[in-house]
Amino acid sequence: MEDRLDEIAEAFLIETREILGKLDNHLLALEKDPASPDLLSEVFRAVHTVKGSCSFLGFSKLEAVAHAGEDLLARLRAGERAMDPDAADALLGMVDAIRAVLAGIESSGQEPPEDHSALVSRLKRLAASDPVPPVREARAAGAEVREAAETTVRVAVGLLDGLMNRVGELVLTRNRFLAEAAGREESPFWPIVQSLDAITAELQQETLKTRMQPVDTLWKRFPRTVRDLAVTCGKRVELDLEGGGTELDRTVIEAIKDPLTHIVRNAVDHGIEAPELRAARGKPAAGRLLLRASHAGGQVRIEIADDGAGLDLERIRSRAAGSGLVPAERAAAMGERELLELVFLPGFSTSDEVTTVSGRGVGMDVVRSRLKSIGGSVELDTRLGKGTTVRMQIPLTVAIIPAFIAACRGQRFAISRKDILELVRPGRDGSRAAIENLGGTPVCRLRGRLLPLVFLDRELGLAGAEAAAASGSETVVVLAPGERRFGLVVDEVLGAEEIVVRSLSGRVRDIPVYSGSTLMGDGSVVLILDADGLARKSRLDAGEAVREGALSAEAEDSQEETGSLYLLARAPDDGRMAIDLGVVERLEHFERNAVERVGGLAVVKYDHEILPLVEVSDVLVERRRKPRGVEGVQRAEGNIHSAVCRCRGRRVGVVVDRILDILADPLSVRRPPSREGVSFTAVMGDRVVEILDVERIVSMADPDPFSVPGAARGGGE
Amino acid sequence: MKALVVDDSRTMRLIIGRELTALGFEVVEAPDGRRALEVLREASPIGVVFSDWNMPGMNGLEFVKAARAEASFRDIPIIIVTTVTEMGAVASILEAGANEYLMKPFTREAIAEKLALLELSSPDGGPLG
Repeated sequence: MEDRLDEIAEAFLIETREILGKLDNHLLALEKDPASPDLLSEVFRAVHTVKGSCSFLGFSKLEAVAHAGEDLLARLRAGERAMDPDAADALLGMVDAIRAVLAGIESSGQEPPEDHSALVSRLKRLAASDPVPPVREARAAGAEVREAAETTVRVAVGLLDGLMNRVGELVLTRNRFLAEAAGREESPFWPIVQSLDAITAELQQETLKTRMQPVDTLWKRFPRTVRDLAVTCGKRVELDLEGGGTELDRTVIEAIKDPLTHIVRNAVDHGIEAPELRAARGKPAAGRLLLRASHAGGQVRIEIADDGAGLDLERIRSRAAGSGLVPAERAAAMGERELLELVFLPGFSTSDEVTTVSGRGVGMDVVRSRLKSIGGSVELDTRLGKGTTVRMQIPLTVAIIPAFIAACRGQRFAISRKDILELVRPGRDGSRAAIENLGGTPVCRLRGRLLPLVFLDRELGLAGAEAAAASGSETVVVLAPGERRFGLVVDEVLGAEEIVVRSLSGRVRDIPVYSGSTLMGDGSVVLILDADGLARKSRLDAGEAVREGALSAEAEDSQEETGSLYLLARAPDDGRMAIDLGVVERLEHFERNAVERVGGLAVVKYDHEILPLVEVSDVLVERRRKPRGVEGVQRAEGNIHSAVCRCRGRRVGVVVDRILDILADPLSVRRPPSREGVSFTAVMGDRVVEILDVERIVSMADPDPFSVPGAARGGGE
Repeated sequence: MKALVVDDSRTMRLIIGRELTALGFEVVEAPDGRRALEVLREASPIGVVFSDWNMPGMNGLEFVKAARAEASFRDIPIIIVTTVTEMGAVASILEAGANEYLMKPFTREAIAEKLALLELSSPDGGPLG
């Protein structure tokens, strides 16, 4: 089928070019012999042929130009208008425009964005015999197109979407960079981060531009829709399409397709009167429907205007009061604007009486909420007996993302679907997804794997409505922003929705757990959660986890039975080690410059205590040279990852290169220890994991790490 | 079943032909009325004819008149393909002996509908439309 379509398009291009070659000559001959019926018939048929094929191939711009030319030629052929230099000029302009569009189609497969509406209206005016000054812009535009066509390439929409997604991810990464860099203006990285920021912003802008499509892609559906509707409703409708070259983001075009169709249907069905009625009211039998797109202040305005019956404001008033939507005295005092606003109320439109008698109203609430959801607006103007105009204001571009809407403590939040792996309803007591507490860290056991949990209400300090657990509907949203994985506990997941991302402003922008806001259909503002920011805020660095997917999968495959839990960590030489979670109290990371040396030992302030730090890799690998591991700790770059362990009744921070995962006893095959400080080894995948003997390592690092004055004791406080 | 598509535009012949092929017809083409009459004589039996209205040489109306003048073509269903701007001519075309008219732009369903009106079943079997 695809081949066949291309073949048709190919045939169309060849045929139309042949026709154009003849048309130029015929038109020039016509100027000399303006009344030649043969020439006129020939020219008319040629343009008619071009127009006829266009409608099938979706070349609406070409169709509009050819249609207007055909109308003028029909008048000339019928002798209702004389061929004069103006008409010849316009028709030659039409040939040029057709040629330009053709060149664009040939190079890019679709109509170039240039707007020929000036030419179209000029041809129409000439057909109506109104003398008008010559307009040259159509030809100038044509010349431009031919040049532009050579510098365009055809790109699959999927590729552009992919590009847009990558750019979105880049923006988020940039945001993380900026957050890290904040307040470090003196760092040598600062200017680099600054230029990354600027370039990312430009890239985002330009990527958005690649997704722009002319409104024509929407317009082209309507001639057919309107014709069919008119036939069904027994109406006669003349459709005019203007501003087809106006460009919009393709997601916006998709989003307004249905509302626009709805309004057009309303206009034909309820707005424009039957031919007899129109005649009785002194109007032309055929109603006029105009769709016009234009730029207005960084937005696109789309107007749908009909010259039909218009809305009867008094009927709306009495209807509103009668249905109890508005108190009677209030309705009586309402002005035109307010009354028209009522049309957009849900429930108002259900009355047959209003829709059939006075025009439209069916589902206008739906139209408005749909437009709101993409950051647009809609309003209408009406004059009884004269017609109705619906005006839509639409942003040029919006970022629309699929999201889930979650509720927590009576508030709603949006979570981007790309961050969500799955939704889990946690069970109680021993069921598969029960919430457990692991050394102070809430976790959820999911398919043999422990998932660290973040309670949204605790994290955001939400209070108010009943707590999650009480309602029994709490849900764990399994999130994987980037490479970490965790479960976000919310009260309820309300549903999926496509949301428009709006950037945050002011104070809210600086709160890292929100990535933006969105306007819901009901007009309320909902904050979009930044999964990555949440993970960072709740210090879930332990869950670097998923990066080691192979290991984890291995763990899942091995026994799921309860046994010891192990903290899997990476050594600096990329080796793997594990610590029995039984001795681990918490996972913490400290800033490098928070580490102090006290009596030759690395320590850090922790929970109003002084926590001794022991770097495992130094103890194990370089024990002979650096028996105390102090240098290692101080050498480490960035944050120090540590497992705060209980050892001999005291706390000690066991420093590792990176914490990878928490495993549920994957170590089914135990092997002898490889060296001192290791209780045993196990094989996971193709790697050997050393299971550390924490107590031994601590004493290896320092025979008495707790000799430091004021060192942590007990650790229970 | 064979369908004859008559149109001076190759593009239109391909467009109509594509739909008819999809409906199970074997499609033969002619660029004008005169050639269409020849095809009717040579490539019979033709089950249905889809003819353009505005063609150079012999136009749709003349073609219908000529076809109906020959006894062997009298019962071949002829559907005239036309546009809104030619609506005024539809009556005279039907009067001249065309069975139906099809308005551009059309869909496959519209073609199937017209065929069903003429009680022509799809060559695939199954009812049309």
